Amino acid sequence: MTSTDTPEEFSERAGEHELEISTEDAADIGGFGVIVAAAYSTIREIDTTGFEPAEIFVPTPSQRESG
Amino acid sequence: MASINNSNLAYKSVGELAPLLESGELSPVDLTQSSLDRIAQLQSTLNAFLEVWEESALEDARVAEAEIAAGRYLGPLHGIPVGLKDLIDVAGAKTTGGSRVLANNMATFDATVVAKLRSAGAIFMGKLNLVEFALGFTGLNSHTGDVKNPWNNERITAGSSSGSAAAVTAGMLPVSLGSDTGGSIRMPAALCGIAGLKPTYGRVSRAGVLDLSWSMDHVGPMARTTQDCALMMNVLAGHDSRDPASSAQPVPDFTEDLNGGLNGLKIGVPTDYFFDDFVDPEIGASVHASIELMSANGAEVVELSMPWVDKGRAINLGVLLPEAVSVHEKMLAKNAEQYTPAVRSRIQAGFNIPAIDYIRAKRARLWFNQQMATSMKRIDVLITPSVPIQTPMIAECTPSNGNPGGGGEIPMFTGVFDVTGQPSHSIPCGYTEDGMPIGMMITGHPFDEKTVLRVGHAYEQLTDWQQRPPMDIPAPN
Repeated sequence: MTSTDTPEEFSERAGEHELEISTEDAADIGGFGVIVAAAYSTIREIDTTGFEPAEIFVPTPSQRESG
Repeated sequence: MASINNSNLAYKSVGELAPLLESGELSPVDLTQSSLDRIAQLQSTLNAFLEVWEESALEDARVAEAEIAAGRYLGPLHGIPVGLKDLIDVAGAKTTGGSRVLANNMATFDATVVAKLRSAGAIFMGKLNLVEFALGFTGLNSHTGDVKNPWNNERITAGSSSGSAAAVTAGMLPVSLGSDTGGSIRMPAALCGIAGLKPTYGRVSRAGVLDLSWSMDHVGPMARTTQDCALMMNVLAGHDSRDPASSAQPVPDFTEDLNGGLNGLKIGVPTDYFFDDFVDPEIGASVHASIELMSANGAEVVELSMPWVDKGRAINLGVLLPEAVSVHEKMLAKNAEQYTPAVRSRIQAGFNIPAIDYIRAKRARLWFNQQMATSMKRIDVLITPSVPIQTPMIAECTPSNGNPGGGGEIPMFTGVFDVTGQPSHSIPCGYTEDGMPIGMMITGHPFDEKTVLRVGHAYEQLTDWQQRPPMDIPAPN
């Protein structure tokens, strides 16, 4: 998301992600959308080299039933 | 019994009530009736409750009375009225999340925290109002109605645990449960002048509690005193296999060190962010005066440079929003018109966030937590203001089309410690010139709630802020 999206662009791109949002609702996001965009802008400035999320995929133990 | 009547029960703490109940000097039925009377007196003014369970509460109180009379006293919460934020399941009752979307959502099982409180003999008084799905910090909810601050009915309580805070503040209940993902226990505790503890992430089970952001959701107590938070934690804490994030760390007696005082403790005071120029001067002055008071009473003050800490709120929001979108995606697609416009637009603002941004936020969270752990090495607790601004008016915070409403600064400090998962506690530390409470936040090392509570309790013994009745509501009948 960018703070320069028009409501139409925002609505259209939400649809591409199979998320429903009307053009009217996209217009209502207004100021909060700017706050969200600013948060990610701050996050992108952080050098997170070496800080990979600790979660790793762990296979589910076998649930095979006997017989 | 002659000296105990309804009018002087309203503002008593659990620590004061429990010995009276245990000794039989006070009946759980009388205490519950007193609570119901206070709720009846103030509900129309404050709108703290969504449901009041008068009949079942009195029935449970009668059972508690019989058990105590028979010598089966279960502990300090036996016979104590408790309120639940309405995102916590109680078997056979609705959990609405403060939303029309879940208006008929009947819970089948008790949330783990409810089961624990029930086993401890607590009396459930009903469900408390909140921001819809806990996604907001002002406490406003255009569908269930705004909760009013008992100190000034034209001002917000903050949220999202708005009803939980107002009910305790007004003497409707001695204790309540709230939840905290960006500060939703500590912000309303601060603006309403009560104590609110966000425990360490994983310390208290969220099983049976509606999700907002699974990697940062916490459940915790809101109460009149720090001691009451400790008494609640003794019941609430512990591993639960129903919550995948639940910790297996040993659970201490949270009241054990309450009277340990401040001697020998190192209190960290950040030189960055938490006392910057954007912080209201009255709030900054109150917290600094509190630090000086603690220093004069044995604590060692250590100044800490934390030039990275201003990134915390951005990371909080950057993790929270994609998780909230994921929680609500399907429900929103089916029921968009039933959400309040404010919350619908907050969730929708998270649509179209690229996956890489969520991953960046998660990596930044690890980076941030390492910075915090390094800074905390030299200290026992960190002291900061809970909220940087004075309590806004409801009218200032009410969203309108394209305008998210004021009060956006409210979660700037609390959200930092949802990112790190540290235990973080807000207690009152003064009043503004307008007579509104000021909150001070005490934050400790992960799983060291005991030291946080020790500092809070020691501070409360030096002051009387938490003992003052709110200004804008009538005294108990």
